[in-house]
Amino acid sequence: MEKAIIGKELVKILGKEKVLVDELDLMYYSYDSSFLTKLEPSNPFAVAMPTSTEEVQQVVRFAWENNINIVPRGAGTGETGGCIAVNGGIVLDLSTWDEIVEIDARNMQVIVRPGVIHANLNDELAKYNLFFPPDPGSSKMCTIGGMVANNASGLRAVKYWATEPYVLGLEVVMPNGDVIITGGMKSRAIKNVSGINLTKFMVGSEGVLGIITRIRLRCFPKPRARGIAMAVFDCLDDAPATVLDVYQAGVLPSGIEILDSSAITAVNEFKPEINLPAAEAILLFEVDGNPPSVDFEGEIIQQIAKKRARSVEWATEEKRMTELWEGRSVTATAAARVRPDGSRIFAGEDISVPLSRVADTLRAIRALGDKYGIKVVNYGHIGDGNVHTAPVINPENPDEVEKVLKMVDEIHLLAIEMGGTTTGEHGVGAVRRPYAEAEHGKAVEYMRKAKEAFDPKGIMNPGKVF
Amino acid sequence: MNFKDLPPIKEQLMKCVRCGKCRSVCPVFAEVKNETAAPRGHVFIVQMLRDDKVEPDHKVYEKLSACLLCENCTVNCPSGIDIHELNAAARAYIYEKNPSLGKELVFDTLWTSPGLLKTSTMLMGGVQKLGLQKLARNIGLTKILPGDLSKAEKMLDSVPSRSARSQLPEVNKAKGEKKYTVGYFLGCGTDLLNPEVALATVNVLTLNGCEVIIPRESKCCGLPHIANGKLETARRLAAHNIKIFNSYEFDYFITDCASCSSALSRKNMEFLFKGLKIEDTAYAFAEKVMDLTVFLVDVLKIEMDGDNLSEKRRVTYHDPCHLANAQGIKSQPRELLQRIPGIELVEMKNANTCCGGSGTYSVTHYDMSMKILDKKMDNAMETGADMIATCCPSCMMQLRYGTQRHKWNCRVIHPVQLINDFYLHKPAKTAGE
Ligand SMILES: Cc1cc2nc3c(=O)[nH]c(=O)nc-3n(C[C@H](O)[C@H](O)[C@H](O)COP(=O)(O)OP(=O)(O)OC[C@H]3O[C@@H](n4cnc5c(N)ncnc54)[C@H](O)[C@@H]3O)c2cc1C
Ligand code: SF4
Ligand code: SF4
Repeated sequence: MEKAIIGKELVKILGKEKVLVDELDLMYYSYDSSFLTKLEPSNPFAVAMPTSTEEVQQVVRFAWENNINIVPRGAGTGETGGCIAVNGGIVLDLSTWDEIVEIDARNMQVIVRPGVIHANLNDELAKYNLFFPPDPGSSKMCTIGGMVANNASGLRAVKYWATEPYVLGLEVVMPNGDVIITGGMKSRAIKNVSGINLTKFMVGSEGVLGIITRIRLRCFPKPRARGIAMAVFDCLDDAPATVLDVYQAGVLPSGIEILDSSAITAVNEFKPEINLPAAEAILLFEVDGNPPSVDFEGEIIQQIAKKRARSVEWATEEKRMTELWEGRSVTATAAARVRPDGSRIFAGEDISVPLSRVADTLRAIRALGDKYGIKVVNYGHIGDGNVHTAPVINPENPDEVEKVLKMVDEIHLLAIEMGGTTTGEHGVGAVRRPYAEAEHGKAVEYMRKAKEAFDPKGIMNPGKVF
Repeated sequence: MNFKDLPPIKEQLMKCVRCGKCRSVCPVFAEVKNETAAPRGHVFIVQMLRDDKVEPDHKVYEKLSACLLCENCTVNCPSGIDIHELNAAARAYIYEKNPSLGKELVFDTLWTSPGLLKTSTMLMGGVQKLGLQKLARNIGLTKILPGDLSKAEKMLDSVPSRSARSQLPEVNKAKGEKKYTVGYFLGCGTDLLNPEVALATVNVLTLNGCEVIIPRESKCCGLPHIANGKLETARRLAAHNIKIFNSYEFDYFITDCASCSSALSRKNMEFLFKGLKIEDTAYAFAEKVMDLTVFLVDVLKIEMDGDNLSEKRRVTYHDPCHLANAQGIKSQPRELLQRIPGIELVEMKNANTCCGGSGTYSVTHYDMSMKILDKKMDNAMETGADMIATCCPSCMMQLRYGTQRHKWNCRVIHPVQLINDFYLHKPAKTAGE
């Protein structure tokens, strides 16, 4: 179907305020945070911005009847090209649909539409002494819909895990326009093992199975106290060893983050007031809970860390904690600061390996950096083995681009080799598809079959995941 | 200088990782909500312009000019990109390719609307010197919807009849022992819209031992021109002002206008002149430029001891973008207010979010400007303040309109006016006393 006609039909359904068809407007939907789309932006045929289940349903029916691809999109902070119409199609921008439908404090849950921003949700929940624990570095910009679709997690995954355990039920518009509710039509139960668990099946499905239009999330009581221990190491191996010792001592921090020497430089360049000491590695342990337990666990962590660390700082003052924690969360982009004429790229950025292999992995990545002559900043959620690698290159230099793509390929293969995965939290999208067979073998065939059962015409976000 | 050779275009465009952090801090994006209004989107489209992937036409100009140039994205960008400079550079590039963009506005719309013309021209700077005809050629406003215009005209009811310049001599002697000779950069906004601020500035400075000279030949700081795609004019104006101010023996160049001090700052000089012959002279000039509040707190270290009045007037402070974002000046204005006896500073939520005024923006994008203003007013009103203090004439005009719009009986003032009021009731200890 011609683009102009698609646009006209969409306007008939949604009205012209909720549709973009102008070529210029469409260009703004050609990228997300991935390096892939920085190299190869790709315009959709049209953008639709529905704000009700019925509107989504009508757009999807129209697409189904006319065999047009549908690509759901949240805030476009994904790092895999997941929300990009790589094979053309209609992008459904769900970020404008940002309503918190109900905070059901008595039942410890909240119901939202997909476009609600993670940080905004937690601001609202805080008024009820509740919180939704997963906390991606992109908290201030990413949508809950995007988090569910990617099964996002974040700095506190060590204790609170990813988005998945919190999703109690979903409303999903299926590729043919059917609307289903998972987790029980009327359910407000927290525990529920009735039926095949379609909720879990949808979480992390990256928009290839259906469009998530309503999300019922479990909330936790907000911890009353928090503390952060910063341990500074002169030897890289001491960092993971300390992490294991802390677990052995029976302490489960809410987050454990690592910054290597280049990441430390980057943070200091970006926010000099944070003033991290120069070192081979820095570990940040966050503990939360009730005040006595925070003090108690903080004390144990300090004792253990002091065995190997050059210095240990224990912060409970809000300002310092925010600085340290923010320092870590801005590393993702601040990495570029290590090279005046460089930019970090989001590629090969999210491998996850067994805890016992973290130090080996970090060393191997450094060696790859040396091999290709590329500066690499390493940081990440060491508490769960999720290593973030930020190659810093001039993305407009074709030589560097060629080299970095080779390096990234090696990093992905390294992850599988180490007994890990190519992606711990950001997802597969368009960029990690080539590793599906190597990682999952025959299981990929069954993933495909499942997809066919939901989407026999293959219109939902094609070109992603497998 | 060629658009593609400008330092931010050459060095910074490639740094954007499209992380989207800037989406979360942009007041315009918060209203529009789709990517076409995101700062990240502006960066992307500027790159497309550089790479000749889009035409430099009015459609792109319209997208880019929806931005307030409030710099909130810039200060929050982890990659250190001067997003607003990329935007301003691109506007100038498009304008250069389409000289008719602005004329259309001036001749078809502005000329038919006398009140608007008066204020727009005032804001555009130096109407007295340039003359309307020439000025019209210099204004590069984006295409304005006539609907916006008729609404915007309401904002312009209260333009004072006498400018500050007509009330102030060129040389204002220090009262008491002279400590400094300062060049007062009297900006168009203060001069034409808030002459009482200029009178207060001169009085407070002279009372504190400064000889204040207001060079008659100084012109507009050029900020409105940058916003409206007239980069070359902005360069010419800056070069002119540098020459004029350098021809005196000044210890400091002081301005009470946030926009002027940011336009004359090192950062903006780099934007205008990096790589050009005048570069070093411009930086040396910028070294001496200081915002009035910084000068009063950090250099003059003024103190006002008065009776500890039991009944305090509540003042809330709005951070002008050109002070807080462009120059990182947040503490001195607050410090000043707190030093005034009888004043209680009450912080509003999001004090450093743009008020939507942004020079000519409230005229060119009235509806958007009002949405942003309404949020600001909600936060300001929540404080229950008697006064809103701010350090920028454009913000003052916008906030004043906001108080009328919300039928809120609240004075909008520059902190220096409160200091002046204090001196009027209790004469300052002049230097040497
Ligand atoms: C600086 C930075 C830091 C980050 N830190 C983290 C981190 O710590 N942890 C982490 O897990 N991720 C992180 N991310 C990645 C990213 O922010 C998350 O994956 C996030 O959940 C994506 O949300 P989004 O709204 O931007 O989704 P988008 O990027 O718009 O979309 C992501 C995927 O979800 C699909 N999708 C979106 N909405 C729906 C819907 N309603 N229904 C069905 N499918 C949908 C899209 O098709 C796409 O496949 C980071 C990204 C950046 C840029
Ligand atoms: S915050 Fe900076 S790097 Fe991130 S998308 Fe915006 S401009 Fe690009
Ligand atoms: S300068 Fe202000 S209005 Fe413009 S894009 Fe940046 S944050 Fe938005």
